[in-house]
Amino acid sequence: MAMILAERKVSGWIQDRHGPNRVGPWGILQPIADGVKFLLKEDLIPDHVDKPIYLLAPAIILVPALVTCGVVPFGSSITISGYEIPLQIADINIGVLYILAITSLGVYGVVLGAWASNNKYSLLGGLRSSAQMISYELTLGLSLIGVLMLSSSLSLREIAIQQGSYPWTWNFLIHFPAFLAFTTAAFAETNRLPFDLAEAEQELVGGYHTEYSSMKFAMYFMAEYLHMIVGSAVAVTLFLGGWHFFGLETVGGPFWSGVISFGIFFAKTAFFLFVFIWVRWTLPRFRYDQLMNLGWKFLLPIAITTIVVTATVWAFTQSKLLVGILNVVAAFIVVAIVATTLVMTREPEPVDDRDILSFTDESSS
Amino acid sequence: MIIQTIMFYVLAVGTVGAGVMVIASRNPVHSVLFLILAFFNSAGLFVMMGAEFLAMILIIVYVGAVAVLFLFVVMMLDINFAELRAGFLQYLPIGGVIGIILLAELVMVFASGAIEIEVPTNVASPTPPPDEVTNTQALGDVLYTRYAYLFQGAGFILLIAMVGAIVLTHRRRTDVRRQRIADQVARDPKAAVRLTDIEPGAEGTWKSD
Amino acid sequence: MVPLLYYQLLSAALFGIGLYGVLARRSAVLIVLSIELMLNAVNINLIAAASYLNGIGRVIAIFVITVAAAEVGLAFAIILRMYRNRGTVNVDEINLLKW
Repeated sequence: MAMILAERKVSGWIQDRHGPNRVGPWGILQPIADGVKFLLKEDLIPDHVDKPIYLLAPAIILVPALVTCGVVPFGSSITISGYEIPLQIADINIGVLYILAITSLGVYGVVLGAWASNNKYSLLGGLRSSAQMISYELTLGLSLIGVLMLSSSLSLREIAIQQGSYPWTWNFLIHFPAFLAFTTAAFAETNRLPFDLAEAEQELVGGYHTEYSSMKFAMYFMAEYLHMIVGSAVAVTLFLGGWHFFGLETVGGPFWSGVISFGIFFAKTAFFLFVFIWVRWTLPRFRYDQLMNLGWKFLLPIAITTIVVTATVWAFTQSKLLVGILNVVAAFIVVAIVATTLVMTREPEPVDDRDILSFTDESSS
Repeated sequence: MIIQTIMFYVLAVGTVGAGVMVIASRNPVHSVLFLILAFFNSAGLFVMMGAEFLAMILIIVYVGAVAVLFLFVVMMLDINFAELRAGFLQYLPIGGVIGIILLAELVMVFASGAIEIEVPTNVASPTPPPDEVTNTQALGDVLYTRYAYLFQGAGFILLIAMVGAIVLTHRRRTDVRRQRIADQVARDPKAAVRLTDIEPGAEGTWKSD
Repeated sequence: MVPLLYYQLLSAALFGIGLYGVLARRSAVLIVLSIELMLNAVNINLIAAASYLNGIGRVIAIFVITVAAAEVGLAFAIILRMYRNRGTVNVDEINLLKW
């Protein structure tokens, strides 16, 4: 909720205007007013939809976003009257895989909602979204492998603990290209600008949620924000050291150190969310072929390179510094190679995007 | 223990029911959805059997990638599925007979105990105790050592499948205008810009493009 | 504890369903779908055997998943190709061995 207000305020700030400022002091109550509005609106179901799936889709997109929160460690632990409560709902030993598995479900909410709406704009949005998700999920998964190799654990808590307190020991420096690739892929997975082709209100009316109204639309809306929050939290845990910050772990007793660790985690996540909003107003939407080019020709090679470089360097030298430096160097080389190949061939290998969009009318002609 | 048994029945019934619906449902998109449900239930069974790594891999690979591909193809191909349904009953007898025979054979084989299934020592704990290595690590330990060649072979299969799929489906379209960044960058102002003196009042003798 | 036999019966049932699907459905897409169901049955069996009998079933299950993914990719490439050339995915109508 606070996130929505923050988004609108920051949006306003970036565009040099006031955000919402009518409901409550500084518009603090605006999200609540919006929520009430969504609840009170008429919940209409178009005639021609595939009803079970149409009703199921908003739930499908919201639930994965919620259950992912279960494995993210929000802080170290709070000790209240002798009981140590870890600030995490469940520390499962395959946390990273769990997150990858669950986030891969998010696409179904979009695709099924789009398909069930029985609306051509929605369907186009759904098709775009599924292609985009498949492409970027690869990068998302592969960019994590370097991190997983060095921490030799799949538990999010374990990975966060291993990164230590100082910013220069955090994973984002050791795996900088992977971090960039992961962040970009995370943007794509959340369907946010500049990757919101599935929504693309200028081209596709509302994209996949054109036919949704009232609370069902609100569920899509909330799911988008939840995805952002979860994406940021996971990025913070894996790459930015989780709840660690130098000098702050030792402050306070067993209770307050837990609270402070949560505060640090929250601050880092909030920073990431700010970046989300910032990017939204900075970058225009990609064209479809640009999107595919970026995903397959730049991000994926970078992610694979980091795996190879990390594995090789680590096997021979066991030096995280060297891994970090060589990762960046290798990523530069790969990007340079890809870019020169694209330029040298003079006719870039086009991604067959039209194939998707005009498939049926071509086959009929 | 009783909870485990109940869970098994719930998941097993879910898997089989979803499997039946995959075959029986009228709409291919519903079929894909039931397939996803079946995979979820089997992932649950995997977790019950203590193979949570494989369960997650199953979801990532099947639900995350394969089923999206199915949906994508089903949505993209404008197939008249009702027409395909028309002859559905045509193969019902033979298909049903073969399916049932095979099912009966499998059941008999398993039930007769022809496969030695009585190994009492480790039946007790199918889930590895938490102080042992996690099953991710256990898998990795054998996968990269004893089965390294098989692992490489699997990699080759994937590579070949990838190349094959691209070769089969890729085509260069000529009727679509594309952005060629290289051409745009290489464009020379001398070749692109032309200065013309136009006599005032002269009729249009110059062409715009 | 659930006996191993139950898992095997479940797997047999799923395999039977998948086989029936392969034989009875005419749309190539649904046939591939049924094959996936059969592979899943195999996986359940392998993993059940591995956890009860300490076999190498889990390793094989990984390979099954890998190969299944490759197979689906190729199958869809072929189906797409088929659809482009013949305008149908009905396996009964794909009866030409040559052009």
